[in-house]
Amino acid sequence: MIEFLNRSYVRVALVGLLALGLQTTFLSSAPLAGIVVQLMLCLAVAAGVSGGSERGAITGFSLGLMFDLVLSTPLGLTALVYGLAGFLAGYFNSLSINHPWWLRSIVVGGSSLIVMFVHPVLATWVGVDGWLTTRVFKVAVVVGLANAAVGLAAVPLMRWTLAIKRQERLAPPPEIYA
Amino acid sequence: MPRYSVSRRRALALLTLTSILLITLDLQGNAVVDGVRKVFGAVFAPIQDSTRVITRPIENAWRGITGYDELTKENERLQDAIDQQEGAFIAALATVRDAQELLALNGIDNLADISSITAQVVGEGPSNFAQTIEINQGSNDGLRVGMPVVNAAGLVGKVTEVFADRAIVMLATDASYAVPVQVINLPEEETTTTMSTSTTTTSTTSTTTTSTTVAPMFESPGVGGSTSTPVVGSTSPAPTTAAPSTSIASVLTVAPPTTTPARTTTTVDINDLPATETGALRGRGADRAPIVEFIDQSSRFGEIRVGAVIITAGGSKSLAPRGIVVGRVVKVVERSGTSGAVLEVRLSARLTSLNFVRVLLYQPAASR
Repeated sequence: MIEFLNRSYVRVALVGLLALGLQTTFLSSAPLAGIVVQLMLCLAVAAGVSGGSERGAITGFSLGLMFDLVLSTPLGLTALVYGLAGFLAGYFNSLSINHPWWLRSIVVGGSSLIVMFVHPVLATWVGVDGWLTTRVFKVAVVVGLANAAVGLAAVPLMRWTLAIKRQERLAPPPEIYA
Repeated sequence: MPRYSVSRRRALALLTLTSILLITLDLQGNAVVDGVRKVFGAVFAPIQDSTRVITRPIENAWRGITGYDELTKENERLQDAIDQQEGAFIAALATVRDAQELLALNGIDNLADISSITAQVVGEGPSNFAQTIEINQGSNDGLRVGMPVVNAAGLVGKVTEVFADRAIVMLATDASYAVPVQVINLPEEETTTTMSTSTTTTSTTSTTTTSTTVAPMFESPGVGGSTSTPVVGSTSPAPTTAAPSTSIASVLTVAPPTTTPARTTTTVDINDLPATETGALRGRGADRAPIVEFIDQSSRFGEIRVGAVIITAGGSKSLAPRGIVVGRVVKVVERSGTSGAVLEVRLSARLTSLNFVRVLLYQPAASR
């Protein structure tokens, strides 16, 4: 049983469900400056920062798919966007060998900000009207800043979730060997 | 600059293609996708409920910290509004009663005939773009997708997803929301100037004239089972009535059939009734007021004025019955050519602070 729970995909599912619970209850009802903080996105980005672009993309896709199942938007849209978020965060993180806490925070915040612009663009592309307004700027900035702060805790959490060992964590990102 | 191996590229391409496939399937209305959503909803509901119970104290504390000043101001404002509306409410009750009687006489459905279920708002939309709320009633209580949702103030939205004991409601501000509506224009106002010996006073007078006469009536059997109700003692110069059927003429006179000796006869000049036009209400997101467009403006309708009332238009295919109050026009944007004006609407219902809502168990005639 413990061995089963220690598998990274089981942990991703459990952490994802708990985060989704928080996202759809507390975070939705207590917005910050009128904007809902996107914890699921933060976890997707944190997965990219802690596990690299490939694991970030897969984890982001899984978290986005879970989020999609409770939203009324087309299934797969958030999965696509969060997968991209995880990939981007992993890519940005791989540009540097050293990863101090402030750099991780900037990467999480910056990736979240970019993705909050991409999300409404893709939504419009698949036929969801009305998302691409000037409000996107406010949403992106607030979500970016909030995720930069939450990312400080989310990165270690996703490191545990993805079962990333210390040795692997301290090694250079896998992208540079590719 | 990192480079990506072929296997990684394949993995990423696979994820992208899976997403595109899922989006395509969902947009086409796939039963499997709907089933997966329902199953996940059932599995996730207990987790969501427990999280809600655990986080409610924190949420209340957060709201207390961030919204206290606003709440105090709102309370004062509402107190003033209640004082102002008390008198108007009593007058409106009498008017509503008259309107319901008229609708019943003509065999037209009205809102009072439609069953409804009260539901509590238990959650708000987790997305920053889609405008939705979650309510605590579902298919077990008779809810179906498409049913209109209202509160005491007016239209709130429509049910878009139904689970066993909860449902998702798309708010009227959502960009995907659209409903046929009627615009009831305000009566024309004319400015009269009254000269007096010392001062000049300018006042605004409404030209709507509605005369109501209360008269005792005698009853006798009429043709085809209808009841002839001659009016005696009416101050109206033409005391003829047609009941229970009504005729649309220049002057519409209606007297409901009755067994009591004293009745109310309402005489309304049809030319003085507010003109109505139909259009489509469309949400535009959280930060922008919904609009009414595609208005087929007739000459009788005249110029649309700010403050005109918007109600749902109903119809055999409309998801909302006729007569739900939507809001008032706050801005008229004229467009050139045949595209007609666009009206910005302030909704009567405050969608940012919903607590209890009513789901009308209404389905359009076309889908019954």
